[in-house]
Amino acid sequence: MAHMIERHRHIIDFTLATLLRRKGKNGGLLLVYTLIIFVLASVLFFTEAIRREAMLVLQESPEIIVQRTQAGRYQTVPMSWCAGIGSINGVGSAQPRLWGYHYDRTRLANYTFMVPAQDPPGAGHVDLGGAVARMLGAATGDTVAFQGHDGAPRAFTVRKVLEQESQLLTADLVLISEQDYRLFSGVPADQATDLVLQVRNPREYATIVEKITRMHHDARPILRSEILRTYDAVFSWRSGLMLVIFSAATLAFLIFAWDKATGLSAEERAEIGILKAVGWDTSDILLLKFWEGTAISLTAFLAGTILAYLHVFHTSASLFAPVLKGWSTLYPSFRLPPLLDFQQVVTLFILTVVPYTITTIVPSWRAATIDPDAVMR
Amino acid sequence: MISIHNISKVFNAGRPNEVTAVGGVSLDVRMEQTTILKGPSGSGKTTLLGLIGCMARPSAGRIFLKQREITSLPERFLTDIRRTTFGFIFQQCNLIKGITALENVMLPAYPTGEKFSTLRGRAQATLAMLGVEKRAEAKIEWLSGGEAQRVAVARALINNPAVIIADEPTAHLDTKLSLEFIGIMRELKSRGTTIIIASHDPIICESWLAEQVVELRDGRIVAGATMS
Repeated sequence: MAHMIERHRHIIDFTLATLLRRKGKNGGLLLVYTLIIFVLASVLFFTEAIRREAMLVLQESPEIIVQRTQAGRYQTVPMSWCAGIGSINGVGSAQPRLWGYHYDRTRLANYTFMVPAQDPPGAGHVDLGGAVARMLGAATGDTVAFQGHDGAPRAFTVRKVLEQESQLLTADLVLISEQDYRLFSGVPADQATDLVLQVRNPREYATIVEKITRMHHDARPILRSEILRTYDAVFSWRSGLMLVIFSAATLAFLIFAWDKATGLSAEERAEIGILKAVGWDTSDILLLKFWEGTAISLTAFLAGTILAYLHVFHTSASLFAPVLKGWSTLYPSFRLPPLLDFQQVVTLFILTVVPYTITTIVPSWRAATIDPDAVMR
Repeated sequence: MISIHNISKVFNAGRPNEVTAVGGVSLDVRMEQTTILKGPSGSGKTTLLGLIGCMARPSAGRIFLKQREITSLPERFLTDIRRTTFGFIFQQCNLIKGITALENVMLPAYPTGEKFSTLRGRAQATLAMLGVEKRAEAKIEWLSGGEAQRVAVARALINNPAVIIADEPTAHLDTKLSLEFIGIMRELKSRGTTIIIASHDPIICESWLAEQVVELRDGRIVAGATMS
């Protein structure tokens, strides 16, 4: 056993010496390999994080939203609609929602103001989303001011800063009381932004939608499935682009692996011959090449994965964002919440480290199984 | 004794470029003596050395090492014999560049799993015996031709082989260094090491070192072979 450990130690020592004496070649190899893993891992992490965000958004959305349009433009909904729509058979409840966007000229940022259905802040208080709090430099108990619809600044005390699982839901959010919202936005007391309906039986959706549109011709009911389709279309398009990047990186990796697999340099072959001639067995050569491949591929894998993690979750995939994230052009920016899926990491490992190690060993195995004098000739 | 019975080695068999490098050679190599394989380039000296040293398998014939036939042994046994019985000195030294002289010397013993400190001590002692201990930490490319030759000899000796096989060891050495090499071989011989050298260098072939000189031409022995 001690002999076996010592044998491995000697061979690993020699592997490191071998790698170091070809610094330029191995450094270049490591760089290219790390870059490929970085792109592959970034794509995997990013698509998964975006998909998760979308899922969380949809979980929160109501079954049916009722909006009002006039000449194709959204208008506020009269509160009086609640009673009528709420009385339709199959509708569990019809609740008005008050929400809207606010453009902060001084910071060139868009915020979403909303009156929450549960636990709204008291008058003169607001809850801030993480990104809004960061932008305003505000913490719980601080006072923040926003310019209302009439141009007058309105001050609020921060009740709390929202820390939620999904930043997409809360990053730009300002939660406010109904009274303050109406004063701030100018929405009259008999109007709401839209209505949200709870429907118990999904098979009744179509009937309910039909009844609503018959009741109010200017109503526009939106089903959760329609939102789902829109999200799906948006994320599919983004996934498609990611797939292109993923395919390019995979292709680069395959070319790279093929290049490794197709042969050894004359110098490498001669060295294998020398090692065999001086008493190394085929298994010793394979062990050497295994450690060589493992050292390079593991280093590249770890470096590429860590860089990809930092890129996606700490710089919000800044390299991909301009093409892939619509909201990356919005301000305040949000960060994808860190998420590391073990299965994804294992898949990436199997797809990159294993083939590389095999492609390193195969040509060496071919050379190592030939008589040493033939390899050296 | 190493006994060779009617061995042949054919390269590219069955192809238009088929070459018979060694054809039907029989020879006894006596232990603790020096055997010189002499002949012009292409006479089959290096191929015969490779066959004796288990670096290649003969196309026909048999080789016995201490009455044991080794020709048909599986690869791993041949490797073991190569490692424990033979020490090789090549024409080009064939040292591995980029690592130190000491590491090169230790290389043949790595697969044995010997303790590092013991191995290092033995490698240093071997280099000291050959007078190059001061160059132990120098990389191979920094060594002179004579120093590299000594390191190559030290590498051949690291596993205490019973037989030293040297292929044209003085081909790239000047007269002074060639004589130094002969001195080293004399020292080894006095310790009971069997030496087989392939060379056409008169300094070697006509030296007192040559106890058995076998002359080869076109892959066949033309003079000097003895068979028991």
